Amino acid sequence: MVRFRPDLSDEPAVRLDGVSLTYERTGEVLSEIDVVLRQGSFTFLTGPSGAGKSSLLKLMYLAHAPTRGGVRLFGQQTYDLKRKQLAAMRRRIGVVFQEFRLLDHLTAFENVALPLRVLGQKPDAYQNEVIDLLRWVGLGERVDAPTPSLSGGEQQRVAIARALINKPDLLIADEPTGNVDPDMGRKILRLFAELNKRVGTTILIATHDLELIREFDAPVLRLSDGLLVRDVEYGAEA
Amino acid sequence: MTRRETPLLPATDAREAALFFVIGALCFLAALAALTTRGTYKAAEAWGAQIEGDITVVMRDTDRRTAQAVTDRVSGFANVFEARLLSQEEVEMLLEPSLGPGGLPEGLPIPMLMMVQADMAVGDPSPDIARILSEMGVDGDVAGNAGYADNVRAALGVLRLVALSIVALLSATAIAVIAFATHAALLARRDIVDVLHLSGAEDRYIAALFERRFWILALQAGLGGAVAALMVTALIVFTGSGSQGVEAQLLPRLSLDFWDIVILLVTPIAAGLAARMAARLTVLNSLKETL
Repeated sequence: MVRFRPDLSDEPAVRLDGVSLTYERTGEVLSEIDVVLRQGSFTFLTGPSGAGKSSLLKLMYLAHAPTRGGVRLFGQQTYDLKRKQLAAMRRRIGVVFQEFRLLDHLTAFENVALPLRVLGQKPDAYQNEVIDLLRWVGLGERVDAPTPSLSGGEQQRVAIARALINKPDLLIADEPTGNVDPDMGRKILRLFAELNKRVGTTILIATHDLELIREFDAPVLRLSDGLLVRDVEYGAEA
Repeated sequence: MTRRETPLLPATDAREAALFFVIGALCFLAALAALTTRGTYKAAEAWGAQIEGDITVVMRDTDRRTAQAVTDRVSGFANVFEARLLSQEEVEMLLEPSLGPGGLPEGLPIPMLMMVQADMAVGDPSPDIARILSEMGVDGDVAGNAGYADNVRAALGVLRLVALSIVALLSATAIAVIAFATHAALLARRDIVDVLHLSGAEDRYIAALFERRFWILALQAGLGGAVAALMVTALIVFTGSGSQGVEAQLLPRLSLDFWDIVILLVTPIAAGLAARMAARLTVLNSLKETL
């Protein structure tokens, strides 16, 4: 089973202070956003298409830098981190995408092991860990299956296992149920909830599926036209 | 049981097959151009040396026996490869373009002509030939090609410069096309770069993956191109260079000596390095666009 090491310091996992993001082509997509995600919190992010959900998440998983404002992760300001430090910081963040982003030429096992492999670890060192994690997401029988042979739900669970293999302190999911049927979507969110409850991983899930959100007793951030409508602190205590 | 690690970059796809062909073809052209340039250099050297070494000796009012004696003495010089007295028929043939066909007029004094092929590297024999003529009481002139050879040498210099420029241009184009094609093939792999990036891989790790991949691809393609160039050159050397006429001296002298083999070996390595550098720069630049 997954054995994580959540950072239990008082620092929030994520703190955005007055963050704005402007793209050259489309203009400003986020405007003066303030968000705090406490360690061990489980939060939804919702809003209509084009509201800026994915852009906000990109700031958090360090794919983009904000045009204005500051992004602090685990108590550390990110704007002055060197590229090597950014890579190390990324290893504390697991990301799950709607379109899975698996490497098709690799097996389920190899996709999950990817974050360990890029650290130079050898299969002997991580084999059991990867198989345990695949069992936890319900893919114990599909360990060596080629990625294209997996269903959408199975691929998403492989992507989740890959996001978790590094034992991240923060898990960010961008529309993780968007390409799977509602039952599978529910199962996937329950996996996230279990992870949050048992291990204490901070989790932020972006989705526009309000029906699914209602099944979970978790705070919701709502984005509309680049503005955070409910601009309050959400966290473990919320 | 130890698991085998599948390479992080998928096996060659159609885009890389096209890149392989482009690199192979460019390396073939670059290698062939380099070999031809070397051949042109060698031909120019040989032709220049031959023209410079050709000396014509005109002997007037003398009989053939005296002229032959002069020729025999000149033949003995250390810096003379060959000295030959032309026959009456050969002289008449030389004069024909000036005097027209149909034989020479009766009583026209025809000089004796001696053709000397000298080894100018040892020394110009002209003064010694003049001395022999004087000693033997023969009225004659020694006409070297020094002035003419200077003009030829200048023309050959231009020819070399043109050939070298073509090689330089072709090599630069090859490197630029290889770099561009590598860049394009790599952009198609952007998804892999992104996944590795988000998995926490450092920039140099990702760059090294692509560098290795494109280095090997370009090396293999370049080797293919060089081997094709080698085969074409070998074909020309062993079958097509039979012409011995004057025109053959003007053609590049293709051969397969040590330096030709060096050219053939360097070509794929240069292509590999170009692709490797292009891959590295493309990956690092594309990563710099991200945080």
